[in-house]
Amino acid sequence: MRSHFIGLTRAFLVGTVCCAAASSFAADEYAYDLVHSSVSFKARHLDISWIHGRFNEVDGKFSLDRQNPSKSTFELTIKADSIDTANKARDEHLRQPDYFDTKQFPTIEFKSTSTKAVEGGYEVTGDFTMHGKTKKVTFVLKGGKEHEFKDVKRVGFSTELSLKRSDFGFDKNAIGPIGDEALIIIDCEGVRK
Amino acid sequence: MSDPWLFLKALSGAALASMLIVLASVLVGRRLGLMRQNWVAVLASAVGLIVGEVVLGLRLDWPPANGLDRLLQIVVPAVLIVELFSAFSSVPHWCAWVLRLSLAGAIPRILLHASVYLSRSGGEQPGLKSAADLVGYSALLAGTWFLLWWLSQRSPGVSIPLALAMAIQCAGLSIMLAGYVKGGSAAFPISAMLLGTTLAACLLTKLPAISPLIGIGTVGLFGLLFIGHFFGRLSSSSALAMLLAPLLCWVSELSPLRNRRPSLVGSIRLLIVAIPLVAVLVLAKRDFDRTMAPLLGVDDQSGVSFCSGIPCCSRPMSPSYFMLDL
Repeated sequence: MRSHFIGLTRAFLVGTVCCAAASSFAADEYAYDLVHSSVSFKARHLDISWIHGRFNEVDGKFSLDRQNPSKSTFELTIKADSIDTANKARDEHLRQPDYFDTKQFPTIEFKSTSTKAVEGGYEVTGDFTMHGKTKKVTFVLKGGKEHEFKDVKRVGFSTELSLKRSDFGFDKNAIGPIGDEALIIIDCEGVRK
Repeated sequence: MSDPWLFLKALSGAALASMLIVLASVLVGRRLGLMRQNWVAVLASAVGLIVGEVVLGLRLDWPPANGLDRLLQIVVPAVLIVELFSAFSSVPHWCAWVLRLSLAGAIPRILLHASVYLSRSGGEQPGLKSAADLVGYSALLAGTWFLLWWLSQRSPGVSIPLALAMAIQCAGLSIMLAGYVKGGSAAFPISAMLLGTTLAACLLTKLPAISPLIGIGTVGLFGLLFIGHFFGRLSSSSALAMLLAPLLCWVSELSPLRNRRPSLVGSIRLLIVAIPLVAVLVLAKRDFDRTMAPLLGVDDQSGVSFCSGIPCCSRPMSPSYFMLDL
């Protein structure tokens, strides 16, 4: 009876230690912090200047495994309706089917499929879905520095991503003097869940 | 697509193609019966539409990705098939109407497929309100279709398809002025093929078969207004006014006009239908001047465009070029 009790106690202790060790090595889960992040873009206008804009409603999550970066994942969902170019009439026009067609394609999404550590950050490859078309894209997420503020762990990344609108089914006739290529600039901060 | 000259070419291309098909039918048989007239009308509409779309350079995705793709690749071919089938003399009216009503019931659902109107973020099924709305839109389409068809049976005349062609063209311009250029441009081949088929049929017979044209025209008009409202920025009041405008042809059934010469009745019908259409266009232009023109640097009054604040060129205000300089 006594030996049975000792056996059970040992098993419990070993299990507790293993769980604690596993949790300390597991990937950290972060939620996209909308307050301290931004997804903006710029596109050439008449090939002489840049038009700037941003998306105000973005959501996302990422899991960061420092020990095994290939297990890290990144997801971002942008609400296309939240486009903001500091001109209400232009925003309304951009929401229409000649451009983003936000009633048909309400979100712009990115979901990583592979991640590897590179100097200064991570090289992330994944599926980028915009305007109903999905393309594989690769970019370098720079940063990854952590900071604990008021007992909340935060991590920050930034990247720039160049996309051709024509690759995502935008009408070529609607491209006109706004350049086909758009530069998407993402600066995001994650809050550990 | 954004060139007014191209719109004109698409219009004339579609109209000419439809006319040629109708006129060529004379070579097949000098006197066409009602059934063959209906078939020719459907064929001429289909060919005119294809020619117009090709000239316009409309790029459509398959499988259809948006409302316009579904309108031009599913809905319009479906109504052509329904009208082709209904043209058989052995098909009773009730059977043709069962098909037409079934199609009318499906059209709003097809056009809104996979849009925010039918799907919730969590992938839930559309709510009861959506279902009730869909039934309402279908009833509106079916009602308009039936009333125009009924009028064509009571008091036949080419003014009905011509009124539809006018309403479709007006719908296209309004949709473009509201900022959806591609959607609005799709109206050009639809209205032109109706116009071409109707005018050519007039040359061949005094009372041409217009039943298929009413179906194709009504569905085309409804579809354009529907996508212009739900995916573009066309207001519901404008859309409703343009959809119901052709019903003003019923004015000819009032006793003072009933037994007048057909040409007079047709002219009065077209004139009365044109009144709300012109009013809608004027409002659409005013809205365009207020919201879109400032984006272009266009002076509302003069139609002069500015480059860096200096008037550099003068050209007529057209919905096409506002897309060029967002």
